[in-house]
Amino acid sequence: MNTLGMKTLFAKEVRRFMRVPGQTVLSPLISTTLYFIVFGYSISSRVKEVGGVPYLSFIVPGLIFLGIANNAFLNSSSSLFITKIQGTLVDLLVAPLGPGELLAGFIGGAMVRGLVVGVLTWAVAALFTGFNLQHAGVTAFFLLLSSYVFSLLGLLAAMWAEKFEQINFFPTFVMMPLTFLGGVFYSVRELPSPWSQISLFNPMVYMVEGLRYGMLGQSSFSPALGGGILLGLALVATGLALVALRAGYKLKS
Amino acid sequence: MSVPVLELQGLTKSYAKLTALSDVNLSIRQGEIFALLGPNGAGKTTLIGAICGLVKKTSGRILLFGKDLDEDPVGPRYEVGLVPQEINFDPFFTVAESLHIQLGYYGRPRDEARVDEVLTALNLQGKKDSLTRALSGGMKRRLLIAKALVHRPRLVFLDEPTAGVDVELRRDLWSYVRKLASEGTTIVLTTHYLEEAEELADRVGVINEGRLLLVEDKASVMRRFGERRLIVTFEQPPPALPEPAQRFNATLSEDRRTLTYVEREGTPPSGELLRELYAQGLPISDVETRRSRLEDVLIEILRGRPQKAA
Repeated sequence: MNTLGMKTLFAKEVRRFMRVPGQTVLSPLISTTLYFIVFGYSISSRVKEVGGVPYLSFIVPGLIFLGIANNAFLNSSSSLFITKIQGTLVDLLVAPLGPGELLAGFIGGAMVRGLVVGVLTWAVAALFTGFNLQHAGVTAFFLLLSSYVFSLLGLLAAMWAEKFEQINFFPTFVMMPLTFLGGVFYSVRELPSPWSQISLFNPMVYMVEGLRYGMLGQSSFSPALGGGILLGLALVATGLALVALRAGYKLKS
Repeated sequence: MSVPVLELQGLTKSYAKLTALSDVNLSIRQGEIFALLGPNGAGKTTLIGAICGLVKKTSGRILLFGKDLDEDPVGPRYEVGLVPQEINFDPFFTVAESLHIQLGYYGRPRDEARVDEVLTALNLQGKKDSLTRALSGGMKRRLLIAKALVHRPRLVFLDEPTAGVDVELRRDLWSYVRKLASEGTTIVLTTHYLEEAEELADRVGVINEGRLLLVEDKASVMRRFGERRLIVTFEQPPPALPEPAQRFNATLSEDRRTLTYVEREGTPPSGELLRELYAQGLPISDVETRRSRLEDVLIEILRGRPQKAA
């Protein structure tokens, strides 16, 4: 096991995004804060509460989830994809780094970025709504596991992609619609039929609701459901990524 | 006999419509400089890629330091360095940071002294804290070489290491490669500059269309395939081809002023003919000899002159 090699890749990944904090941390923080202000204030004048929780507080977990999922995904996907494009992948493939070390290094770095953005979003939101944390363990579980899963999905997307257009496909056409329709700004239970039923097929709903339960102490679904989906995704994606890395899928010719 | 640093047994790489490597067998000894020669698309980079983990082989065995890569694909790579053909750099980091990262990938802790040593050897000390994107093309190539060497590998692959670099750097690099080899590092290099192989290599391998056509000591290749041309110019053209020249199968130019003799392995030495010409008192105004270069030899081999088994 090349522990130092893995730590080096992890530290490099963290330093990489910290070199451009305006782009990697500040920019997503500003957009989620703007969501918070615009959606929060414009809608909260009409919708005071959702399920007994003030609307502004209601949207905080979803916005944190959005920040984590997007940034974890973007970090691992852009980092590996750029490594492929600029040719520095050679350094990683020649070096004595096995699939486990590569995975841990890339995923670790991406998780840190996702969590930094998520926690900062939380801190900004706390200025408006106060600090809410009902179940610390559940909250930590959802924060960590969602950053892990979306980092992995980003890594898989970058392995698969051969063009810039392809690497943009997932965040634009999959993640953005699913998260926006995933009950970040509203409760899917209160949607009219058939949207309420259709929304039940969106896995993001359960992840947002799980984090909401952890932070606010109430949600429309059991947090076990969201936790189960995240765990399942984590297992499948880890297995896939390890197999793909071992085989050098689209990394080796 | 010590275990070869690298051993290839029946190494084959096939793509859908192309066989890039076909049943390549090769054994590289500790401390030698081995030059792999061949035209573009011959399979040189694929061969290095298969050994270094960039290309998935189709069949055959690769043994690095006696260990089969199928059984342990990672372990032997601690001792390997590669200078890839294509320049690559991570624009986020400085020259020194890139080298520390490289050390880390190979499981080695930060080592300022080693980084300084490599940077000095490659004349990059002044650029230590520059971002890699600010380096010139030649400097980026030096950095690639520094990255491949910083962890003190026992086996280094140099894939076209001096492509596009100036003459001065090429000379510097050659002396550095010789120094590494004298310290026991094994070097495998591919090059387009046959002068480079001629200057550096102990042994050469010639590859074409994925097949290794020949592996031999450079000196022996030059002796077997090389030629020496003796060109004698006369002050006054002799009336006919002088007698000794006929015996040596030399040829006279149309204006009968220049006599050319091609000396190959097994033919009498040029000096003998020259002595006989002088003995006959022929009015010789100039004598020139031209040795063929490795380049000429390579062309001969690729054209299919008889070869000894690898």
